[in-house]
Amino acid sequence: MQTFHIRYRNTQGTLMRILNAASRRALDLPVVQAEPAEHDHQVTLALDVNQKQVGQLYREWYGIADVIKVTSGAAHTNAWALPHPPAGVAIEESRAAARA
Amino acid sequence: MLKGADIVLRCLRAEGVELVFGYPGGAIMPLYDALEGSGVRHILTRHEQGAVFAAEGYARVTGQVGVAMATSGPGATNLVTGIADAKMDSVPLVCITGQVRSPLIGTDAFQETDVFGVTLSLTKWSRLVRTIDEIPEAIAEGFHWARSGRPGPVVIDIPTDMLKAKKEFAGPVKFTPHARPADAKAEGGFTDTIVALLQQSSKPVALVGAGAKLSGAIPDLRRLLDDLNVPTFATVHGLGAVPPEAPYYLGMVGMHGTRAANTALHETDLLMVFGARLDDRVTGEPTRFAPHAKIVHFEIDPAQLDRVRPCDLPVIGNLADTIPAFQAELKRHSLPDFSSWRGVACGAERAELDPRGLAQPTIRFLDELFSRLPENNVVLTDVGQHQMWAAQRYRSSSPRGFITSGGLGAMGFALPAAVGVQLAKPGACVLCVSGDGGFQMNIQELATVHRLGLPVKMVIIDNKYLGMVRQWQQLFYQRNYAETDLSDNPDFVEIAKAYKIHSFRLDEDAMREFPVSQETGDQIDRFLRSPEPELLVFDCAPEANVFPMVPAGAALSEMLLEEEPTQ
Repeated sequence: MQTFHIRYRNTQGTLMRILNAASRRALDLPVVQAEPAEHDHQVTLALDVNQKQVGQLYREWYGIADVIKVTSGAAHTNAWALPHPPAGVAIEESRAAARA
Repeated sequence: MLKGADIVLRCLRAEGVELVFGYPGGAIMPLYDALEGSGVRHILTRHEQGAVFAAEGYARVTGQVGVAMATSGPGATNLVTGIADAKMDSVPLVCITGQVRSPLIGTDAFQETDVFGVTLSLTKWSRLVRTIDEIPEAIAEGFHWARSGRPGPVVIDIPTDMLKAKKEFAGPVKFTPHARPADAKAEGGFTDTIVALLQQSSKPVALVGAGAKLSGAIPDLRRLLDDLNVPTFATVHGLGAVPPEAPYYLGMVGMHGTRAANTALHETDLLMVFGARLDDRVTGEPTRFAPHAKIVHFEIDPAQLDRVRPCDLPVIGNLADTIPAFQAELKRHSLPDFSSWRGVACGAERAELDPRGLAQPTIRFLDELFSRLPENNVVLTDVGQHQMWAAQRYRSSSPRGFITSGGLGAMGFALPAAVGVQLAKPGACVLCVSGDGGFQMNIQELATVHRLGLPVKMVIIDNKYLGMVRQWQQLFYQRNYAETDLSDNPDFVEIAKAYKIHSFRLDEDAMREFPVSQETGDQIDRFLRSPEPELLVFDCAPEANVFPMVPAGAALSEMLLEEEPTQ
């Protein structure tokens, strides 16, 4: 697992293009965290990738019009091993509200 | 005060747009309403896919941005194949789509599609316009990205209420991109490294791709190749970049490349790539591609590097900058004598054309066509066997003279693309070669050809099969011709007549004698020089095959030169 920090201008579709570079390679996206960073935005991804894919992703991300900088490092997998919020929460809440 | 639609057209004019290709519909009606008197000529195709391929044809032959317009929903989704095609083949393209009214976006309104989302992974850049104020900026930025770096497609989606709204218009704007680390140019140090690699090499080769044309570096490239004087070959999009009479030129490389080119590529110890993506149709099995070679890759788009095989020296930048730098360095050094390698790679034995191929009447027919073309010509092909035969037989030094859907391999490309090419080059002989399958995918554009009176010369190589698929079925699927039989094709001659286009038929018996008879030659000459559109249907043997052929998963050195018994 490797982490990638991608600094970008938050224009239409830029985050989706960044994510698409991973999803088109059928890479799972267990961690995606996007947030403002100074005057720009940054998204942090954790991906299970091989060395060849790292190179391809770097170059593809840099090819996106509003990507500014890409850096990477080893992932802290334990911290990210926590389960996602249950997918059904919103539906359960809606059901409860409907029954009330 | 101007309407948004008028602002769009003013901005298009400011970008140098004179022609747009499109098909009207509900959400884009305000833009069509504003066309008259705008200075932008609209070409009505008969399908949105025809419009986007025509815009691509225009862009490919001129190097300028092609523009296609369509309405929301199905109009926009019909553009998608052309957008993907432009992405693969680096074609500068701007698609303007109407969108449902802003308050309806996201409601699954009539003819609403998330075109921005659908095309996100196929475009270099896209914008869903939210206010009328964004229109000038969106168009300026869209054209910038379509043209810049490795050219490609852009989508600008404009809700119909933005096209109807009014505002004070201060004029078109200029877009200035932010500087990015990714835009860095190649360091100067690469030149002496390549020279050092050449001095260590005994079997160097050069591979030329579309980037050489797109960068405008053809004169520099040709001088460099003359100086290098090493075996050289081209991808299908590199055809025309190297004069075919150059003594070091070996023709097309790859799956249906020449035996000489593929063999040299397999044996080389130094491969210099000039603006090619090195996709699987060029490399064959990647792990056995140029197995003895160091690779120097001149490329404008870093994303194309190392896709199938790591390169040893990437040279990132516009070839118009990097080739002259390399050539200047080269002149300061002497290179080893490569003549014995050149003698082997370019020798008569390898360069000899496939004798079986020569015997094929279809190949003779293409040779007759190409040899009789007027000087000012552009050849387009559709996708399939005829495309590869044409690429193998094409002999021209016109860099933008051979146009085909190479990366995506989109059947139905040729006829509408020929419309765009003929409009861009009204004085040229535009020869559009299709198969019977592909021609029927956009056959409706015969109406566009007729309405505009475009003198496109259309050829259908009619083998009554989806020929390339059938060839694979024959060679690799034990002749199980599943759903490739088109023996109930319509009579194309009669169809053309219904569109008021003159048409006639030749069968391959006319090509059995060599040289062809005076009568056949005259027929072809008259066809190519007619001032009117014409269709020639060539009846081809149903089971003619394209050779050489590198089977999927094989190395380039394992090409088949003729049919082998089915395993």
